[in-house]
Amino acid sequence: MKKTNWITDSVANTNLLMFITVFLLCISGLIALYSASLHVEAPFFKKVIGKQMLWMIIGLLAILIVFFVQRKLLFDGAFILYWIGIALIIAPYFVGNSVAGANRWIVLGPFHFQPSEFMKIIVIIGIARYLSKNDLVISDFKSLIIPLLLALLPMAIVLKQPDLGTSMIYIILIFPMLIWAGARFYHLFIIAAPVISILTAFNFYSFFIWVLCLIVILYFSKEKIWLAIVLFILNLSLGFVTPVLWNRLEPYQQNRILTLFNVEADPQGSSYQVIQSQIAVGSGGLFGKGIGNGTQTHLKFLPEQHTDFIFSVVGEEYGFIGVVSVLLLFLILTVILISVAFRLRDRFSSLVVIGVTSVLFFHAVINVAMTIGLMPVTGLPLPFLSYGGSFIITCFLMIGLVFNLSVDRHR
Amino acid sequence: MYYSQNNVTLERRNLLILIGLTLFVILIARLYQLQIVQYNRFAGIAEANRIRVISREAPRGIIFDRNGNIIADNKSQYNVNLIPFEAGQNENVYSILSEILKIPEREIRQRVRKNWRGQFLPARVAGDIDFDTLTELEERRLELPGVLFSLEPIRSFPSGANLSQVLGYLREVGKEELRVIKDYGYRPGDLIGWKGVEHEYESVLRGKQGYSFVQVNVFGQEVGEVRNKRSVEPKFGNDLYLTIDLGLQQYAEELLNGKKGVIVAMDALNGEILSLISKPDYSPNLFSGIVRSDVWNRLRDDPDKPLYNRVTQGTYSPGSTFKMVAALASLEENILDPKTRFRCRGSYKLGRRDFKCWKLGGHGRMNLYDAIVNSCNVYFYSLIRKMDIDIWAEYARKFRFGELTNIDMYGESLGLVPDKAFMDEKYGVGGWTEGNKLNLVIGQGDLLVTPIQMVRFAGTLATNGKLSVPHLGLKYFDRDNDRFHYFAQSTGDSIDDISASSWEFIRKAMYDVVNSRTGTGRAAKVRGLDVYGKTGTAQNPHGDSHSWFIGFAKKNEQVIAMAVLVEHGGSGGGEASVIASKMFRYYQKELVPQQFTSRGANRN
Repeated sequence: MKKTNWITDSVANTNLLMFITVFLLCISGLIALYSASLHVEAPFFKKVIGKQMLWMIIGLLAILIVFFVQRKLLFDGAFILYWIGIALIIAPYFVGNSVAGANRWIVLGPFHFQPSEFMKIIVIIGIARYLSKNDLVISDFKSLIIPLLLALLPMAIVLKQPDLGTSMIYIILIFPMLIWAGARFYHLFIIAAPVISILTAFNFYSFFIWVLCLIVILYFSKEKIWLAIVLFILNLSLGFVTPVLWNRLEPYQQNRILTLFNVEADPQGSSYQVIQSQIAVGSGGLFGKGIGNGTQTHLKFLPEQHTDFIFSVVGEEYGFIGVVSVLLLFLILTVILISVAFRLRDRFSSLVVIGVTSVLFFHAVINVAMTIGLMPVTGLPLPFLSYGGSFIITCFLMIGLVFNLSVDRHR
Repeated sequence: MYYSQNNVTLERRNLLILIGLTLFVILIARLYQLQIVQYNRFAGIAEANRIRVISREAPRGIIFDRNGNIIADNKSQYNVNLIPFEAGQNENVYSILSEILKIPEREIRQRVRKNWRGQFLPARVAGDIDFDTLTELEERRLELPGVLFSLEPIRSFPSGANLSQVLGYLREVGKEELRVIKDYGYRPGDLIGWKGVEHEYESVLRGKQGYSFVQVNVFGQEVGEVRNKRSVEPKFGNDLYLTIDLGLQQYAEELLNGKKGVIVAMDALNGEILSLISKPDYSPNLFSGIVRSDVWNRLRDDPDKPLYNRVTQGTYSPGSTFKMVAALASLEENILDPKTRFRCRGSYKLGRRDFKCWKLGGHGRMNLYDAIVNSCNVYFYSLIRKMDIDIWAEYARKFRFGELTNIDMYGESLGLVPDKAFMDEKYGVGGWTEGNKLNLVIGQGDLLVTPIQMVRFAGTLATNGKLSVPHLGLKYFDRDNDRFHYFAQSTGDSIDDISASSWEFIRKAMYDVVNSRTGTGRAAKVRGLDVYGKTGTAQNPHGDSHSWFIGFAKKNEQVIAMAVLVEHGGSGGGEASVIASKMFRYYQKELVPQQFTSRGANRN
């Protein structure tokens, strides 16, 4: 109250640092896109780099608009917004415009936009809104059920589109938010345990190790003994039943599930993309091949080089130095966002910022892990670098939201 | 307060930062592994990714005759290839291609499948397209993504002669063979000589593929040259010179046109084959590139067997041309005094069977000399009665009957000289009679010879027992050292244990076969040339008798040996002798003035 200027110095510094980081990430993305479209004969604004710059300008406008949205409006309208979002991600099924067999797009004239991208923000706001209820007892397991459902519903819809990457983001973002809100780790463990049981069930040793961990954790949790026993039996039987059920599936059904992990796979086989991407990154060496010299990129061995595999372009042309710089920028951004969230006074704003942090962070980690062969290809773009209108605008919106919430005008 | 308080603890904040940091460290560790530790490996793969080695076919060496006339040359052929992936991107490629090449679309797809090497690798859809088609394809290139041309050297045969059996042909190297010869640089799809000199002198004729390096994109499209990688020019194969005289060969092929049979002419002194014809044959142009399967099937299934080399693979009864073997045995082993006479009444009675002479009325009283000149069977029946079969077989083997001549040609038959052991084996001890011997002595029965053995037989008789090795390869031009290499020919054995007088006796008789008024081979007489010969009429179960003539002619220290066989041509004194006389006349007129030298004439 003592200052007339509602922007404090420290907040201004943090925000400046955030914008600089984002700016640098965008620049590295544009350089990579410039290189990738070097040999494309087209007018500048028809090339991906030109179009990406247009999207970024639109993104900047979005930041401005979001900046002036009242926090109260977001807080009160969170659930209404949520249901509008659900309606939008269902819409592509009914509008019936499927591009390459995927119901992801809503087509408005010349614009295709992907509501599932914007839905990420909406899910964050919805969950943050629920977790900042005044009468919420976060230590109660029942309090976690609604946030889970808020994430599972859009996840199920988007999974059906099919878009495994995006649907995974919906469910992953909930964990940091729950941790932030003060949920008990034991409860988080209960939520995560069945998934791990199913995934480890296909290999005896991995399942064996997992069961040992389960026993140790349950023993030291000092929870009610009957709950521990129920959980143990539940997970154990899940582990035993899963392979049996899997084997009873028809091969085409198995394939349907397996292809889920390779939604973007090309006809040459899923490993092709990853192999070519690893070759691109690996052949970059310490300093890279230099701008426009990436043979993997320019001879088109590298697939999806504007979108999901933009990181490989950086790896090939700027080498280890280049990719580590990009990763450091993401790390700096993550730390900035976490400290912004930590500093904020009200829980709602803080949780929204943490939600945004998780989305950007997991996008970056999963995308990079995928391009260097640490994870199966799921089709997640790299924030601020990958080409894509809906996605770049969503990223900018999220930054705008953080900017809005971090300058506390209500103090 | 309207909003609930943010009550997050420091521990929880640090936990999230720690998780984030850990994941980033894992990523950086992996990147370190890829880009620093395994850099060399991935750099190598990336290099291999972008560079395509384009092999440039090396033309095979040219094949010349002994006088430097071109027998087999090279010409260029345009092939149309198609990259399946690229062509698959555009619906119309196949239909446009079908329209231009005038091949049904279905056929094109079938060929792509047949020649499939991979999605991004070109598969051949048409070979040897003409210039108009090439122009049209070039004009519509933009409509035809993924359609490429390749230039490939193929054989051309400028001379009028077929020489099909001599040359052999080229075919794609087979999978099985490849396992054995891949160390010599053969790859799938390469052409390799098969049969004939193309096969025998493969290592001489084969060139060395050249390479050029181009940068390609993922679709296999060439996008430019590769710096720092020099292309390697293809190396031509060495030129091969054959012992064949193209003129004589061509003339001989005309003589046998429409007939089934064999003409072989050989320099008796050194075994150089001057002409070698096995009819029916085929045009070598059918095999200039990769042979079309319908052509191949037609040739293979032809009942007249044009692919079959009668000269080296065909086994025949020699008929009376073989009588000289028994005659020499008689002279050398003193079985009969050559002056001893037998009366020929047209047949010879053995037990209850009559063995016929070819002259129904009989030849009257015949001694050995007369019997050869008149080819009297009865004399030889009487002679063989007094001779052990193994002595006869021993003399046949002195001439290397029943053995390979080791001619430089693929697939030679042994033939068969029956002896006592063989007869006992085949018919059982006592299961064969004197009658079998009677058949053998006149060149019938179980005795089998190849025409190449017969021409050498004639040469051996001409040269007092010289057993030269018949061959087609004369020399080759070594491109590396810029000089000729002559093929080392084994000088061959000779028959040393037959006296000069016996050779002389046989030769005189053979001279009179051709030159006396009653000789069976008088149709082969050539004015001004000393022609020696012997006719044969080989009965066979398939129809008319085969007509044989073997012989030789001497002029200016040169000896040319000749074997002529006309299948179902009737008596040897007829067709075979007439053809032989024409051959000798050609030789007299065209070859003797040129003084054909052994070692051939040099070409400039």
